[in-house]
Amino acid sequence: MEEKREGALPRPEIEEDSCKGCGRCVAACPRKCLSLQPHMNRMGIRPVGYAGEGCIGCAMCFYNCPEPYAIKVVKP
Amino acid sequence: MKTIEQKGMYPKFPRSGKDTRVTHYCAGCGHGIVNKLVAECCAEMGLQDNTIFVDPVGCGVFTYYYWDAAHISAAHGRASAAATGVSRARPDAVTIAYQGDGDLGAIGFNNAFQAASRGEKFGCIFINNSLYGMTGGQMAPTTLEGETTTTTPFGRDPALTGHPLHVCEVFSQLQAPVYIARVSVADTKRILQCKQAIKRLFEIQRDHKGYALLEILAPCPTNFRMDPLKAAEFCKNEMEAEFPLGVFKDAEKGVGGSRSCATEGGADAQERVPPASASLVVKPVPQVASCAELFGVSDGVDAPPAEDDPAVPERRFKFAGYGGQGILSLGICVAEAARLEKRHTLWFPSYGPEQRGGSASCSVVVSGMPIGSPTVEHPDVLVCMNQPSYERFVGDVKKGGVVIVDATVPLTKQPPEGVKLYQVPAIQMAEDFGVPKAANTMMLAALRAFKATGLGDESLETALCASFKKKPQLVEKNRDLLRRAEDALLNN
Repeated sequence: MEEKREGALPRPEIEEDSCKGCGRCVAACPRKCLSLQPHMNRMGIRPVGYAGEGCIGCAMCFYNCPEPYAIKVVKP
Repeated sequence: MKTIEQKGMYPKFPRSGKDTRVTHYCAGCGHGIVNKLVAECCAEMGLQDNTIFVDPVGCGVFTYYYWDAAHISAAHGRASAAATGVSRARPDAVTIAYQGDGDLGAIGFNNAFQAASRGEKFGCIFINNSLYGMTGGQMAPTTLEGETTTTTPFGRDPALTGHPLHVCEVFSQLQAPVYIARVSVADTKRILQCKQAIKRLFEIQRDHKGYALLEILAPCPTNFRMDPLKAAEFCKNEMEAEFPLGVFKDAEKGVGGSRSCATEGGADAQERVPPASASLVVKPVPQVASCAELFGVSDGVDAPPAEDDPAVPERRFKFAGYGGQGILSLGICVAEAARLEKRHTLWFPSYGPEQRGGSASCSVVVSGMPIGSPTVEHPDVLVCMNQPSYERFVGDVKKGGVVIVDATVPLTKQPPEGVKLYQVPAIQMAEDFGVPKAANTMMLAALRAFKATGLGDESLETALCASFKKKPQLVEKNRDLLRRAEDALLNN
């Protein structure tokens, strides 16, 4: 079997300016690979960010997020 | 490749005359989670072109900006009545009423109850967050015993205001409803169960089977006065203890039945009915000296009435940022300081429907003579805590004026000529001091350090302390923060 390419792993895609920083996705992530970032978005809120690895594509973050467009999960 | 993303919503929401991708809900709001699920179910079932939503009054009022389907807005509490009309006029369509607990449980209870009793062919999504959200967290019929709200500041006392209203339990006594269930959006498991229940509601409407009610327990972090995670915990622990989850009736699946309590949640619910006599002792209501004390504002004793002084010019302030940054309190502090100096002053807030996270601003006018208008179009002093407010107001500042902006805001626009700009790391400083919520106190320190208010240092400090009257433990802390911040600013 060919080894899975980096880009072939599931990952969350975050639209920082839509994030309100409530942290529900951070708490819901079973792999704990989301956290609030040190920098701020346009509104002056610290948005969520992805650690870069660990995502299993369960989309718990998406369902716990109250905002429609702040986070989505891509499963290649 | 598969992407799990929002379905069934417009890509942009034309709220407040501008396209935005964010809803008006506060951070961590249960409505937001439910809105996403409803849009997703509607889209996944291919019902968008055949669905008419009846929007309520309350926090759910703006669903017409979000859900890509047909909408009709109803007057407060009248969504079920409007939905009755819609479903009768368009029996081929899927009609869904979306209501909150103030809307359905209080003013509109009879509308909803009679519609359910008649077995009207629409589905009702009922958001229960145990209080009135949009109007500022007042008690609703669903408020828990002992729960603190703005109208039950000492906790809901059943002897005075009754017991929480169990809408599902009441409605499931009716003969006509086809489906009645209660779910929650407090955590992932419950959210996924909620989605299944919403699907069931849509299925029943798609097949025109009859009336369905889905009660959804939702956290309201803003009015619970909790952070979003604690609010979700409250929803899961406290609210579920009062309002058990479950399917109370599903006629097609033989769950529950008319005039019987033998349902999944029902048997449980019966056991937990509190003995009526237990709470009929009227507790003494703590005495509050005055409204001024309750709201933590000056009561007119320590701040004498304004005195006319033509030598004091009018000075106009604008404070802007997002709700939750303490922008409005900062304005109150400056206005209070002006009152202490016997100036005429007006404070005028402006914010959207959201209580947290939306743009918020306030205008303050201070003058030696009576003030004509509380609105400020061209401020002498502008304080901005985030980028959208900076971009919106910086061009309006008067020549010779002052702009104080948080250092995290990129200066995408230059202030007009002759306007002094200060970049103050207020948010950073507050965090460094270990009190992230005190960024507004840092801004007050900046106003004082740069002599931008024309008011005395002492009155600003007294006003700041007065604003923490209700939390005396914070008075000294904030006084200390103010002084330390001022020193730090003057030394840089």
